[in-house]
Amino acid sequence: MEVIKLQNIKKSFGENEVLSDINLTINKSEVVVIMGPSGSGKSTLLRCVTFLEEPDGGVVKLGEHEVRAGEPLNKQRKKSLRALRQNTGFVFQQFNLFPHKTALENVMEGPIVIKKVRRDIAKRNGVALLEKVGLADRMDHYPVQLSGGQQQRVAIARALSMEPMVMLYDEPTSALDPELVREVLQVMKDLAKEGMTMIVVTHEMTFARDVADRVILMDDGVIVEEGSSDAIFNHPKEERTKRFLRDVGQQKV
Amino acid sequence: MDVSIIIEALPPLLKATVITILLAVVSIVIALILGFFTALARIGKLKLLKFIGTVYVSMFRGTPLLVQLFVIYYGLPQINIELDPIPSGILALSLNAGAYLSESFRAAILAVDKGQTEAAVSMGMTYGEAMRRIILPQSIRIAIPTLSNTYIILIKDTSLVSVITVTELLQMSTLIIAKTFEPLTIYLVAAVLYWIVITFFTVLLDRFEKRTSRHLIS
Ligand SMILES: Nc1ncnc2c1ncn2[C@@H]1O[C@H](COP(=O)(O)OP(=O)(O)OP(=O)(O)O)[C@@H](O)[C@H]1O
Ligand SMILES: [Mg+2]
Repeated sequence: MEVIKLQNIKKSFGENEVLSDINLTINKSEVVVIMGPSGSGKSTLLRCVTFLEEPDGGVVKLGEHEVRAGEPLNKQRKKSLRALRQNTGFVFQQFNLFPHKTALENVMEGPIVIKKVRRDIAKRNGVALLEKVGLADRMDHYPVQLSGGQQQRVAIARALSMEPMVMLYDEPTSALDPELVREVLQVMKDLAKEGMTMIVVTHEMTFARDVADRVILMDDGVIVEEGSSDAIFNHPKEERTKRFLRDVGQQKV
Repeated sequence: MDVSIIIEALPPLLKATVITILLAVVSIVIALILGFFTALARIGKLKLLKFIGTVYVSMFRGTPLLVQLFVIYYGLPQINIELDPIPSGILALSLNAGAYLSESFRAAILAVDKGQTEAAVSMGMTYGEAMRRIILPQSIRIAIPTLSNTYIILIKDTSLVSVITVTELLQMSTLIIAKTFEPLTIYLVAAVLYWIVITFFTVLLDRFEKRTSRHLIS
């Protein structure tokens, strides 16, 4: 069953064409890993999915919600944008936790403000989510009092608090010290096992091998090649894929 | 210096100090509200509000407070707007401080990391919700040091209101000197009173600043 569908997504910054006609369909419980050289448009693509960046053209479909690029921002559109965003959890490279709120308050914020969930219920759910990411004992800590890995796990819990249909991760471990990467990947892995639909921009090859149902290689704003992790890593067809894998030093010889 | 003169002058001077504090407190409250909404207007998308905000700030930062005071107190009666000295003083002081505060607020709002708005909006918050719940609480913390500074300057500026016959601390000192011919003693007492008031507020605001920012620095 398809959960998310991107049709003809285009985006330019001035003269710089960053995405040229991206089409992508992702099924329920599928984990898609996107890789590609710096500047190839991976972040822009994720940001276009939730209209953090408005595409110049194209359609994003998520379940029964559908948002078209370039339509005037009237009431109807605001509503569908809100629905689209509520149903996609976004995890940022820099975590972007709310520094003036504790871990628990970070996780309660969305449900209370957006979904108007009662405070005690939001709190119960929030504690459960922090338990899930292994941080129940840190729920009263402020972000500055947490390590990068812990902050990113809180950020994942915060994204989950809206009960999204799909999770988007933009290089979730790139800002972390190497010894903190594993704990974050483990949380993501567990989520994948539970059947969460995910799009992950990452250069973590082991994660892609173990978890991804599909690996996509992007370059210059186009999808160069896609396939199973085995197909992409061990039998790449496109020259650009081969070059990318060589550059990141992971090609099998 | 004659101590008995000080003892005699102190009660009226203290009373005048209360007026000074009152002028400062009422003006800063109005200025905070004015500055806040002006900042929002200048950041927002509505061109007309933006324009009005910009003109207001530019005018009140670009002219001396004393001139603003004269225009309001001596000038406006000519077009049949007559205000008493104290309301005139409060109006001038708050319009003036409001212009400065709106700049502080604006800078503080823009200083909050863009990732904060993105995180809020990506969850499904509207721009208004993100502003209210996420951005403003952080910008107020950022703005507090400059707010304190503006408030301290405002307290000092209340002395200018003496020229339009408000009997605040400075005006009262001058009146007493006219009777006692002890300018050095009386003006020094006035200076000490200003210093006490300003130090009191400085300490208070410093504490407030430390309390509100304790989670933002590790
Ligand atoms: N807001 C923006 N304004 C102008 N240009 C932008 C903006 N955001 C991205 N770009 C440009 O778009 C291109 C793609 O950027 P993007 O961040 O999507 O790449 P990426 O694949 O995520 O790269 P990285 O691996 O370095 O994160 C780059 O050339 C970048 O300079
Ligand atoms: Mg990127």
